[in-house]
Amino acid sequence: MTSGWTGRTVLGTIAALTCVLALASCTATDGGVGAGGDVRAEPPLPAGAGAPSSEPKPPSTDCGDPTAQSSRPTQALPSPGQMPTGSTMARIHASGKLVVGVDQNTYQFGYRDPFTGEIEGFDIDMARAIAQAIFGNPNSIQLKILTSGQRIPALQAGDVDIVIRTMSITCDRLQDVAFSSVYYEANQRVLVKKNSGYTGIDSLGGKKVCATEGSTSLANIAEAESDPVPIQVQDWTDCLVLLQQNQVDAISTDDTILIGLAAQDPFTEVVGAPVDSEPYGMAMPLAEDDFVQFVNAVLERMRADGSWKSIYDKWLANLIGPAPVPPAARYRN
Amino acid sequence: MSAPATTESAAPDREARTTELTSLARTTPGVLIILTAVLIVVGIVVGIVTALSVQSRSTALDNLQSRSGPLSVAAQDIYRSLSDADATANSAFLSGGLEPTTLRARYEADIAQAESALSVAVAAREPGDLTDGSPLATLSNQLSVYTGIVETARALNHQGLPVGAAYQREASNLMRTQLLPAAQDLYRAETDQVAADQDDAAAFPVVELALGLLALAVLVVAQVYLRRHTNRVFNIGMLVATGAALVSLVWVVAATLGVSANVEDSRDRGSTQVDVLAQARIATLTARADETLTLVARGSGAEFEKHYASTAAHLAGDDGLLRQALSLATDDGVRERIQSAIDSQQAWHEIHQEIRKTDEDGNFTMAVQMVTGTDADGAAAQFDLVDADLRGALETTTRTFTDEVGQASNAITGTVAGVALLAVLMAVGAAVGIWQRLKEYR
Repeated sequence: MTSGWTGRTVLGTIAALTCVLALASCTATDGGVGAGGDVRAEPPLPAGAGAPSSEPKPPSTDCGDPTAQSSRPTQALPSPGQMPTGSTMARIHASGKLVVGVDQNTYQFGYRDPFTGEIEGFDIDMARAIAQAIFGNPNSIQLKILTSGQRIPALQAGDVDIVIRTMSITCDRLQDVAFSSVYYEANQRVLVKKNSGYTGIDSLGGKKVCATEGSTSLANIAEAESDPVPIQVQDWTDCLVLLQQNQVDAISTDDTILIGLAAQDPFTEVVGAPVDSEPYGMAMPLAEDDFVQFVNAVLERMRADGSWKSIYDKWLANLIGPAPVPPAARYRN
Repeated sequence: MSAPATTESAAPDREARTTELTSLARTTPGVLIILTAVLIVVGIVVGIVTALSVQSRSTALDNLQSRSGPLSVAAQDIYRSLSDADATANSAFLSGGLEPTTLRARYEADIAQAESALSVAVAAREPGDLTDGSPLATLSNQLSVYTGIVETARALNHQGLPVGAAYQREASNLMRTQLLPAAQDLYRAETDQVAADQDDAAAFPVVELALGLLALAVLVVAQVYLRRHTNRVFNIGMLVATGAALVSLVWVVAATLGVSANVEDSRDRGSTQVDVLAQARIATLTARADETLTLVARGSGAEFEKHYASTAAHLAGDDGLLRQALSLATDDGVRERIQSAIDSQQAWHEIHQEIRKTDEDGNFTMAVQMVTGTDADGAAAQFDLVDADLRGALETTTRTFTDEVGQASNAITGTVAGVALLAVLMAVGAAVGIWQRLKEYR
């Protein structure tokens, strides 16, 4: 019986060994069951989009009428290429080009024409008129793309000679930069989708409303009595992207910009009464008063000789309607 | 002497049984029976553990061959094609008007390649690995979102609407903040897995050696005992068992040392170089994307230019990635290609400086032409040369890696089965050998 017991054990062991080895050689990982639960689908955001990076501050300075703070031109306009010695214009003339801070995203004001890849628009033609007055050549300009928030820093750092970029004249900004007389009169309004039922800023309480970082529009949204939620982006077209992707409910800014956005999406419309008036000025460094006077003189000539109207007709007439009377120049002196 | 009490009444109580076994253990046949049991158990344990240990090496090699190796290549492909797709989409947009057909075709090919590599990476995973937030989940969820936005941008661009540019920027932002970081994480994880599999496959065979020696020791002790108590010098069964144990030990040690040598080669001549080359290629692609985006941002692209400068320094500095790759290179062909990549990169960098100067001087259209143009001495052509050389070097070193791993895998083929058979042979030999002696006590 010992033999039987031992023999069976050996046989059993061999069987067991073979079995274990067989198992060992097929240690394939077996697939787990069930995928990773709920999958979120979130539309992406444009770079820099989100809640305002700093609390948009209400106007803190009171300068009276901000549109009546520019310098009256004291001299007749010099001929192109004959800038007074030592003036800012002479320095710009010597550098060979006028460096202009502009927008590339505001349809008809400053935008990149997708067909040519060139930046064009009302503001760009205004810049060309200034270049024409300095150099006698409207093409002696270098365009630098600026976001709303970059406009004042770029001027202060001397990166650009002048900013012509749908920039409203405000008392706060007058602390940091000098403005020309008003070259365009805009109104802040609201752009919504046609089927949304919103009628203006008052009906947007608790809803997300988009504007660009550092713009007066963003501050006005934050201040509105209906208490909408301001969302900031870098460029105006980013707002249209967010509206089309249902990430915001409305866009609120100058009607000029909104009309340009609406022209790109026929399912949107501009609604409501003006939230605020937005007088556009060209911004220059505070210290360069001679340049401000020069630009104001150029603007006066443009109002008088019809070139303001022809630029308006070229870019805005088909969107906004027939040209109004150009905004009158008002000065502090 | 006394045989087990099978004739006694069934089910003897525990105490009687214990006494019986204790007395049995004091007799020579009793000891022989216990010895048989011990030898069989040692045979089984040594066989199983050695086989498992060899099996884990073999699994590690299989992984290197069919899983972590190919997956690290797939992860690299995903990164490369996504990065190139984004740079291409941006420069197609930049060139203005209808995008050049070649750029569109390149974008489409990049996306197709990214999707194919991604499906390879996803197929190799368990569903549990695709939890929300993992690199693979991000890649598979967001890639279609990215392509969707790019197509929207293209459709709007075709209508001449500037909002198309905003969609293109949103897509690019998605690529740079989510897809590319996820692809980099995936690549890092797969490369770490390759290193871990190499460690597993190349470890010194401590367990195998110790167990083999233990089995031999037990066999020797058993034979000394047999010789003392039975006065027989040789026992065929026991000799066969000893032979089997010895052959098994030598086989396992020789095979695993061979595997280690091959795996170390796969590291030094393969994966280490592949990793540096892949990083160099990623840096090349990043620099190219930065170059394009600097112009797309037009004026507000200082951040991209800064990023280009740091990436280019990381790539081309004295201890930059390309120099590292050159000093690591073990193959003449690879060395040549890296040297050629270094030259082209330098040429490209010089063109880049010119482009920046042209753009700063206000000649944007000219700068765009220099970035996107297809002249043989343009930035695009030089970038393509660097990329092609790095790709060639990567292909060669990846092949070396695969070959070495393949050799390692061949060296270990059959070892598991051999070790198992030899363990069985050892157990059977020992049992039969002792059984013969035990019979003499009848």
